[in-house]
Amino acid sequence: MPFRELNHVQLDTFKEISNIGMGHAATALSQLIGQTVRLRVPQVTITEISQVPEHLGGAEQLMVGITMQVLGDARGSIMMLFPQESAHHLLCSLLGHQDRGQALSEEDVSALKEVGNILASAYLSALGNLLKKVLIPSVPLLANDMAGAVVDNVLIELSRSGDLAMMVETDFTGEQNRETTIKGHFFLLPDPATLDIFVNLVGELHG
Amino acid sequence: MDNRVSIAQTRIGRAPAVLRACGLGSCIAVGLYDPQNHIGGLGHMLLPSNPEGSPYGMEGKYVDIGISRMVDELVRGGARRDDLVAKIVGGANMFETTYQTLINSIGARNARSARETLARLAIPLVGEEVGGNRGRNVEFDLATGKMLVYCARDDERISL
Repeated sequence: MPFRELNHVQLDTFKEISNIGMGHAATALSQLIGQTVRLRVPQVTITEISQVPEHLGGAEQLMVGITMQVLGDARGSIMMLFPQESAHHLLCSLLGHQDRGQALSEEDVSALKEVGNILASAYLSALGNLLKKVLIPSVPLLANDMAGAVVDNVLIELSRSGDLAMMVETDFTGEQNRETTIKGHFFLLPDPATLDIFVNLVGELHG
Repeated sequence: MDNRVSIAQTRIGRAPAVLRACGLGSCIAVGLYDPQNHIGGLGHMLLPSNPEGSPYGMEGKYVDIGISRMVDELVRGGARRDDLVAKIVGGANMFETTYQTLINSIGARNARSARETLARLAIPLVGEEVGGNRGRNVEFDLATGKMLVYCARDDERISL
């Protein structure tokens, strides 16, 4: 099913499922960093592949991206993006470092990948439970660069089967202490074939 | 005028325009230029080639189709086919991984497809800044044919 054919009810259902999944992910993140993590209601956007970098705040914005493939009964990709400053705040909370430069150490990379892994696993297990499907995240990969460059791998995967991407986007925000606000974006990019599976199951849930 | 070439787009122009492609990772930017007539084009492509051989989707999605189409448009726009030269930028492997060899990475395949397509069309490749694992921005100055590559992560500028 092409993304464009999704109706409002289907999109809303997808949003609701994502809300639950993100809720689990936010709980995991909050326990990990010992801070309250606030979550914005996810937005589900269907957009042309070429517009995805704009949705991320522009192709040139420096970001830390953590990507994973979704394996199991449904396929797709997950991409988590943290603006560089937020990634550093996250690392301060996790590792207790202060005054970091722009570059990431090996320890930083490993800690951020672990965060990615925990968030994705929490999200996928919630989604999988609802849909009665097994969803497994692959080993996380990390890149620290311009948003456009970080995200184009995922877009290349999607572009094999179409010109549209579905993005489920959520912002995580830490405590409203201006020193430590952590913002992040979470994207679920299902393969079009996988979207069929989701939509059929969503239909059954609505029954 | 917005001279930004976004993903899966190709765009042609003439001096004094400067064409820009931002945030290239595994994607590849191919610039074609006629130095006599100061007319050129820039494409921001995603995939090496269309596996089915049937053109569909966005014009600049595929390296091979995108390049051929730019050549046609440039010739229609007054460029001399035999004077065209090419420069390529991008084709990086942003996510280093142990189970994906460099040869098979999509960035490397995009770069190879660009070289092969240019060779087939007998367009000389006169400059390149490809591979590695860093993102790149490109500015293609159609007054001079110079390409300025900027890597935000290393804060490095390279002139092609």
